[in-house]
Amino acid sequence: MSWFADMLGPFRGFAVTLRQLSRPAVTTQYPDEKRVKPERFHGRHVLNRNLDGTEKCIGCELCAAVCPAKCIYVRGADNPPDNPVSEGERFGFVYEINMLRCIFCALCVEACPTEAITMTHLFEMSTTDRTEAIYTKDDLLVERDGTPNHPYPESPLININELRLGDGWMRATSPSGRADYEGVVQWSPSARTGSMPAEVGQSGDISHEETPDG
Amino acid sequence: MSVFIEAVIRVVIAFGFLLTTVLLLVWVERKFVSRLQNRIGPTRAGPFGILQTLADGLKSFFKEGITPDRADVWLYLAAPVIAVVTALLMFLVIPIGAPIEINGTTYSLAAMDIDVGLLYILAVSSIGVYAITLAGWASGSKYPLLGSVRASAQMISYEAAMGLALVPVVMFSGSLSISAIVESQQGTFFGVVPAWNVVLFPSFVVFLIAGFAETNRAPFDLVEAEQEIVGGYHTEYSGMRFALFFLAEYISVFNISALTTVLFLGGWSGPVFGPTVLQWVLPIFWFLLKTWLIILFFVWVRASLPRMRYDQLMAFGWKKLIPLTLGWIILLSIALGFRNFGAPWA
Amino acid sequence: MTNPPDDVDTLDAQDSEPTESVEDARRTQHDMWVSGTEERLPYSDATNEGAQELLPSSEDPALDIQRGISVDDDFVVPERVVDKERQIINMGPQHPSTHGVLRLHMELEGETVRRVKPIIGYLHTGMEKTAETLSYSQGSTNVTRMDYLAPFHNELVFSLAAEQLLTLEVPERASAIRILMTELNRVASHLLASATMGMDVGAISMMIYGWREREVCLDFFEKVTGLRMNHNYIRVGGVAADLPDGWEDDVMFLIDKVSAGVDEYEELLNENPIFLDRMLGVGVLTPAEVKQFGITGPVARASGVDWDLRKVAPYCGIEQYEFDVPLGRHGDSFDRYKIRIDEIRQSLRIAKQVVESMPLGDYRSLDAKVTPPPRARIDESMEALIHHFKLFTEGVNIPPGTAYQAVEGPRGEVGAYIVSKGGPKPWRLRWRAPSFAVIQALPAMMTDSLIADVIAALASTDPVLGDVDR
Repeated sequence: MSWFADMLGPFRGFAVTLRQLSRPAVTTQYPDEKRVKPERFHGRHVLNRNLDGTEKCIGCELCAAVCPAKCIYVRGADNPPDNPVSEGERFGFVYEINMLRCIFCALCVEACPTEAITMTHLFEMSTTDRTEAIYTKDDLLVERDGTPNHPYPESPLININELRLGDGWMRATSPSGRADYEGVVQWSPSARTGSMPAEVGQSGDISHEETPDG
Repeated sequence: MSVFIEAVIRVVIAFGFLLTTVLLLVWVERKFVSRLQNRIGPTRAGPFGILQTLADGLKSFFKEGITPDRADVWLYLAAPVIAVVTALLMFLVIPIGAPIEINGTTYSLAAMDIDVGLLYILAVSSIGVYAITLAGWASGSKYPLLGSVRASAQMISYEAAMGLALVPVVMFSGSLSISAIVESQQGTFFGVVPAWNVVLFPSFVVFLIAGFAETNRAPFDLVEAEQEIVGGYHTEYSGMRFALFFLAEYISVFNISALTTVLFLGGWSGPVFGPTVLQWVLPIFWFLLKTWLIILFFVWVRASLPRMRYDQLMAFGWKKLIPLTLGWIILLSIALGFRNFGAPWA
Repeated sequence: MTNPPDDVDTLDAQDSEPTESVEDARRTQHDMWVSGTEERLPYSDATNEGAQELLPSSEDPALDIQRGISVDDDFVVPERVVDKERQIINMGPQHPSTHGVLRLHMELEGETVRRVKPIIGYLHTGMEKTAETLSYSQGSTNVTRMDYLAPFHNELVFSLAAEQLLTLEVPERASAIRILMTELNRVASHLLASATMGMDVGAISMMIYGWREREVCLDFFEKVTGLRMNHNYIRVGGVAADLPDGWEDDVMFLIDKVSAGVDEYEELLNENPIFLDRMLGVGVLTPAEVKQFGITGPVARASGVDWDLRKVAPYCGIEQYEFDVPLGRHGDSFDRYKIRIDEIRQSLRIAKQVVESMPLGDYRSLDAKVTPPPRARIDESMEALIHHFKLFTEGVNIPPGTAYQAVEGPRGEVGAYIVSKGGPKPWRLRWRAPSFAVIQALPAMMTDSLIADVIAALASTDPVLGDVDR
């Protein structure tokens, strides 16, 4: 019967296309259905707060220094002694990110010594005006109770809950190549996400709960 | 009822039916090809996106129609109109159901039941080539010109193959009237197999292939091959004028499918039973069912085959299809001669 | 890092200092501007738009060259052609199938293409120059955007070149992760190439099917690096983060999916007579032409040139893994398609071996001057804090010297040539772009073929204009 199969050769392509009818579609109905992003997703930045409500940012400008696109502008100021804004001596007085320049490489997240700037799962940032693409501290900083801010929370594209997820890249790069530090929590809890567990790492030893958004 | 009023009513009904069908056809094609490619297809306009074509049409209607500087304005404007008019005219002779008898008068379900329907169809489809050729020429631009050169060569070649493929049908059915051809396919062979002209299998295949080429459908869509010559003859058209070309193409798809049904698949023939109304409706149903199956086949082919190259297309038409049909005509004439006049030695 | 073997004389040439006379002879040979010479510049307007146009055919020396090269395409070339019957047509930079912003200036005679001139530069953004202003820590974000379909290869070759200057050994696990990611990247890139190639010859379903499987690859990249393209994942000294939990299952899932998909493409296209007609004997390059134009990668191997840097000059310990280098015999579009499909299978084979043999341990160099400290150490150690600040503000300091490193990218040899004067930034970065070599061979492939063949041949070479123009 091989001659018969040979004769059908040119028509085998028809079977391939017809076979797809029984398979589910691979495309999804964005924005009605939004896919679940992986934990390390690089989305919009947020500025975090500690559990007590103080800002994590200490105005060290490492993020601005490391940014290859030069999209971050930070100015630090001394903390008022009676009512400190952050835990350190200084705090981020001005904090702006130009989202039109940002390339979402997350070097700022790796550089931040206090995990103040982290990335979330929200990536819808289109605007009709270039000036709106410059996110100021008001837009970036979460509320004292950890609620994230967004300039247009009612926009149909925006799922504000996606701003509550994230930090995966900060956690993934924390060991910085040391196997010994894998699976070790090296960050302080934040008001937005609470205390985040570490990845299991190479040992495969599950000594903590699975992450809720994993 | 005066002949004039009856003619107007028939034409209006025919065009209304045709345009509605085309709206549905574009949607069906998009949905079906999406499913063949693991996609969803249009979903937004109306339930299951069924109004998508209407929305697209409305959008085109409100868009600016740009006329290029170097265009030959009158021909440029006339081309899309010719395309649509010829496509519409072709449908007029196709009967969509069995004749209906009311108060002793028999009404044919073709808008215009003429005796030389088949010749009419060939004539009208030849005029259709002008639309594409003129569009490409009158745009005053290079890509459309390339497209129109391809179109004229392709359509003229395949016109020949198509005409030759119809000769056996005429010989077999003994008439040029489309209604008569359908009538001749009503019976059965040996009481089981429907006596459809599809028994003229080589003609059927050649007609279908030539139909793909006539309607510029994949794999013969090199007239408008987007990847090669951008949009072919309609590169410079925008807005409603482009929509007219689009409409004409899809009307042609329906026409060719309907013609295939009528000429080879027995048209409206199928089991008919029940009360009078059902006896009127069922033939229409059978006709539509067969036509839509052909259309789905068109879409399936489009999803499965790459595009042919210009020289391969011409070689295929002239060196394969036309000799094949000529040989088939000779073979069939001999066979029919034996049937009608008996063997010469007998 | 491993140096290429001695028989690669082209790579060795840059080390030897040429004598004065030879250099002078070279200067006159290549109409290059040399500081201090009084000669008139022959192509002083070479960068003008005007000089990019096709010359009148009577003056064009390129035509004879193009004709002289054996093009065993399927068309008989009539000798006498009247110039009046020809038309000039611009394909691109805005054209559906010129793979970005390539512009093909073509002289047509009817449907037959008599002359082609590829014109590039529409995507030039000066990335090599930008690299001089970015530190080695930031450099990955820049180079990864050159060949945007093979970001991991770009990052890898940049990091390897920097490590070569540092004489730094990266941990085994880092090398294994690098191999895994680059091979999967090769799969993703070849899937896209096959998909767009199908699209360009009119097989619209092939495009969606190819992207369907590529999506699985991109999902895995996203899970590892947080981004689907332009990852900034492979850094000087190792990789930025370890593979996420459960990555073995993801890779095995990917291998299954892509293998099944590739089988389906072959079923769809390999025996399709229209596809074969469009591909066989189209855009032929002979092995001699391949070497002449400096073409590498699948296009070279389709012509039968057995040159794969993974075998010839292995990097990152890829010599530990078993794989074959598929070779073509005809050098036409179909062989290139076939080579890519086979290479996808070989890359999956490597990925499977990596999963089975992934070493444990560190995945970034422990050199404190290269790798920032773990986050936990910042609060504990003053020295760690200083290193953290120094590395993120200033960057990695690299000793003076030059280094060339090449890896086998999906499109051929991706090379980075770094000149360092010391300090955290390269003094000069020069990129060896595989697509560039292919683009200059287009006239040899396309002269005297049909428009449809131009598209098929171009698609089969799979150029990335971001790589060409940089």
